[in-house]
Amino acid sequence: MSAILIRRLATAVPTLLVVILLSFVLMRAAPGSPFDGERPLDPATRAAFSAAYGLDKPLPVQAARYVGGVLRGDFGPSLVYKDFTVGALIAQGLPVSLTLGGLALVLALALGIGGATIAGTHAGGIADRAIMTAATLLTAIPSFVTGPALVLVFALWLQLLPVSGLDGTRSLVLPVVALALPVSGAIARLARAGLVVALAQDHVLTARARGLPPRMILWRHALRPALLPVVSYLGPAAAGLLTGAVVIETVFGLPGLGRYFVQGALNRDYPLVLGVVILYAALILLFNLIADLAYGWLDPRVRG
Amino acid sequence: MTLYTVERLGVATGGVALVHDVAFAVERGRCTALVGASGSGKSLSCLAPFGLSAGVASGSARFEGRELIGRDEVDLRPIRARAGFVFQHPLTALTPHLQIGAQLTEAATALGGARPDRRALAAMLDRVGISSPEAKLDAYPHRLSGGERQRVLIAAATAHGPRLLVADEPTSALDASLRHAIMDVLARLRDDGLGLLLVSHDLALVARYADQLVVIENGRVAEAGGVAVIANPASAAARALVAASPKLDDPAPLLPPVGGSLLEARDIRVAFRAPGWRGGRIAAVDGASLEVRQGEALAIVGGSGSGKSTLARAIGRIGPCDAGSVTWRGVALPPRHAMRREHRAAMQAVFQDPIASLDPQWSVIESVAEPLRYLMPELGAGERRTRALMALEAVELDPAFADRRPAQLSGGQAQRVAIARALVARPELLILDEATSALDVLVAGRILALLETLQRERGVAILLITHDIAVARRLCHRIAVMEAGRIVEEGPSAALVATPRSAAAEALVTASR
Amino acid sequence: MRIAGWTIIAVALAALLLPLLLPWNYDQIDWSGVRAAPFSHGHLLGTDSVGRDLLARTLIGTRVTLMVAGAAAAVALLLGTLWGAIAGWAGGRVDEAMMRIVDALYALPFMFVVILLMVVFGRSIVLVFLGIGAVEWLTMARVVRGQVLALRHRPFVLAAEAAGAPPAAILLRHILPNVAGVALAYLLLTVPQVVMVESFLSFLGLGVQEPLTSLGILVHDGAEDMDVAPLALLVPGAVLVGLILAMTSLGERLRDRLAR
Repeated sequence: MSAILIRRLATAVPTLLVVILLSFVLMRAAPGSPFDGERPLDPATRAAFSAAYGLDKPLPVQAARYVGGVLRGDFGPSLVYKDFTVGALIAQGLPVSLTLGGLALVLALALGIGGATIAGTHAGGIADRAIMTAATLLTAIPSFVTGPALVLVFALWLQLLPVSGLDGTRSLVLPVVALALPVSGAIARLARAGLVVALAQDHVLTARARGLPPRMILWRHALRPALLPVVSYLGPAAAGLLTGAVVIETVFGLPGLGRYFVQGALNRDYPLVLGVVILYAALILLFNLIADLAYGWLDPRVRG
Repeated sequence: MTLYTVERLGVATGGVALVHDVAFAVERGRCTALVGASGSGKSLSCLAPFGLSAGVASGSARFEGRELIGRDEVDLRPIRARAGFVFQHPLTALTPHLQIGAQLTEAATALGGARPDRRALAAMLDRVGISSPEAKLDAYPHRLSGGERQRVLIAAATAHGPRLLVADEPTSALDASLRHAIMDVLARLRDDGLGLLLVSHDLALVARYADQLVVIENGRVAEAGGVAVIANPASAAARALVAASPKLDDPAPLLPPVGGSLLEARDIRVAFRAPGWRGGRIAAVDGASLEVRQGEALAIVGGSGSGKSTLARAIGRIGPCDAGSVTWRGVALPPRHAMRREHRAAMQAVFQDPIASLDPQWSVIESVAEPLRYLMPELGAGERRTRALMALEAVELDPAFADRRPAQLSGGQAQRVAIARALVARPELLILDEATSALDVLVAGRILALLETLQRERGVAILLITHDIAVARRLCHRIAVMEAGRIVEEGPSAALVATPRSAAAEALVTASR
Repeated sequence: MRIAGWTIIAVALAALLLPLLLPWNYDQIDWSGVRAAPFSHGHLLGTDSVGRDLLARTLIGTRVTLMVAGAAAAVALLLGTLWGAIAGWAGGRVDEAMMRIVDALYALPFMFVVILLMVVFGRSIVLVFLGIGAVEWLTMARVVRGQVLALRHRPFVLAAEAAGAPPAAILLRHILPNVAGVALAYLLLTVPQVVMVESFLSFLGLGVQEPLTSLGILVHDGAEDMDVAPLALLVPGAVLVGLILAMTSLGERLRDRLAR
């Protein structure tokens, strides 16, 4: 297991460093960025920038300062939100996004694996076809369509849940569901395919010949290999959730990281945008690491 | 005492009857074997009554006094659990994420028996001949070799003390040298009182271990009786089976005469990078030398991992070769990337997997004509087609096959196409890399007969790679035995088989007896 | 499978030809009928909040979305196939290095990087093509590399070498035809992904710019007005979903057929 960890870190850490470095380069290269001497800045911002980025120092030193800062959580001052550092903004928005994403992931896994188990154990039947059609439909509908559609039905027509904003758990229901649905569809399809393949394996035949009841065969012998494709998908799933969260936060007016990102992008607030990208990259790398470890736990052959 | 009686057995899938009117019985302490080619219905006859294969069974199958046929899965399960089953693919039959000890315990308690302690579990493994059984209990299946895994499966199948053990081709996926070892384990269990129902296509194997033989062809019983069936086969099916697998005590083959030296390989070495990031190299071929003469057939025989394929490919310049020289008629052959037309034209190869040997997008005639395009560029398209058709005829394939795709061919047909392609440019040496190993026993027999004919008619030299020394003896003048990358013994076929000197050769001969 | 194919063709044709037949242009404002209901004022599907004909806008939006998707998918195909083929054919260290890069990039939230690039370098339509294509090339590279790697060691390739075929001939006549099928199937799967990315960007206001419109922009605009004119959300939403569904199902059927 530790071998997997070391291998993953060996690729992940340099990747992250490269990302941070690239962000630095991009900031400098961007036309019209505050570092471009031509853009007019008010004295306060200019002073803050000089202090934060050491614009008078040679380039490699600036780069090192930036990388060091990032690793400490210091992304520099925001361009648009004048009184805030990017770090402070991220600290504000991160908990919201993490809650949203975390709940959505749990929901997606529960729906996806649950649905797949029913479908896979009744392969070919009506339940199977119905669940799989639903799953396919869900993957095809982008979250920025489901989001507004859900609001239309549940908030405006049925008046059951709030339209937007973040006050209390009730306001999280629609966003979490909207975010989770497309991912749950993908998970359901992967898990069902994994289950059908697992049930056809030779070791399942051995278990059947041994006279074990079907429930036991499913839980003890078939489930772990069936989940392998789902675990492989966790990295891309995390990326998908982060991306989807951006839209969901915008649609539902939630003060999360995604919304800051969009605002930053529209207002060309480079430090903010870059800071969020770096953070997201780190999160996904972390998720891939967790996924690899989980894969190793499910399949001992990988451990070596 | 009769444990299991089958009468008037029929098995049908989708309305099509695959098995008709099959009958056999298994007694305590005796082994009954169902023998036949693949697709003959022997596995179905064995597994369908227990609900372990596709198809609906009809007729009667009484196990320990209880009728199996007509019961649904829920009723069948407890009855089935009272027998033990061993299947064909040991590498995948154990659950990869559970430890050996856990799987054995599960098998032992399946009928509600008491949980065995560690000593009892280790004893089970010891009984089937596993070394260091205590340590292996905590291991995961992928750490054990194929032979060890099959032994574990036999232990698991007998853990709850069944009186009947059903073994469906238990040795087919294993190396030839392991077959007897596994069969010995089963034979010992039988001598202890277990009733054994064996399914196999390997007549030689069955002859040594079975008390009762049932020959199955096209879903029907062709012949049944004691082991004498092999010595004096009455039915055509039995005769075909006996003829298809070459045996060491067959009459000595009449081989074509041999000429001057054609190919000489000296001190060939091939090493591969060891897997994992630690690096290092593993020697697959560690200094091997051989010589092939005009019209001569030389066999390289060895177990899997001995390096025989690697050696042949290095010599034929279709695989890596790190050191050593190969000369053709006294002239050194260039390395792989520098091989020119005239060198390539001298040697051609046929590989183990017939369907993978053909480009799935190309038609048969295109594949067969391909060597002509590069090795005889002076020919026009029409001339190429004619020669390709002639080659198809030589391998006994109807010209109607010319425009078919590989997906429409059977294994045997595809291998014939591969042989036609190898011979179309009239090479002087044919490299056969396990050319019959992946084929069904009857089909392999026919391909061997074809190769004998071609050898006789064309006088082509052959370098035969195989793990079956009986096949080597049938086609080849000389045999070289390879082990761990080295040639450990070499000599004329008849002499080597009669009195093998090295341990490796001896093991191979015993495995084929 | 046939339904999916015909749906796509029908939608594409409609998007190309129908606007020529409609009395309204996509950016033409009908002052007499703002937020009109369907079948009123001569608008088949009504108008949006500014008074523009919804049907015309949807059709043009579909056209733009399909064009961008096609161009971007072509970028993904080209880049991915080249990368994957070189890695798979070269094998060994080259392959390892190239695939490590792909693995590292796979971990990045590519969407964000594209947005980042757009923020930095401005929003040209070319950047949209390239950026979106860059999001999807990784999967194509992996698929092509896997296929080339598997084929490279098949006996029929060895037999071709033994028959005297030079490497170029083997690549062209044996490898390429066997890779083309799988690449095509994944291309068909890439297009709907690209459509989603483009819509996503447009929805956020970062993709196609006014006065051009795309399905993503239409959904965004529709979402803002959905309490008053739900059709403005539902119609482009349905077209978007339908397109994605049809293309995905077609691509998957093709992929499964080829895997056999």
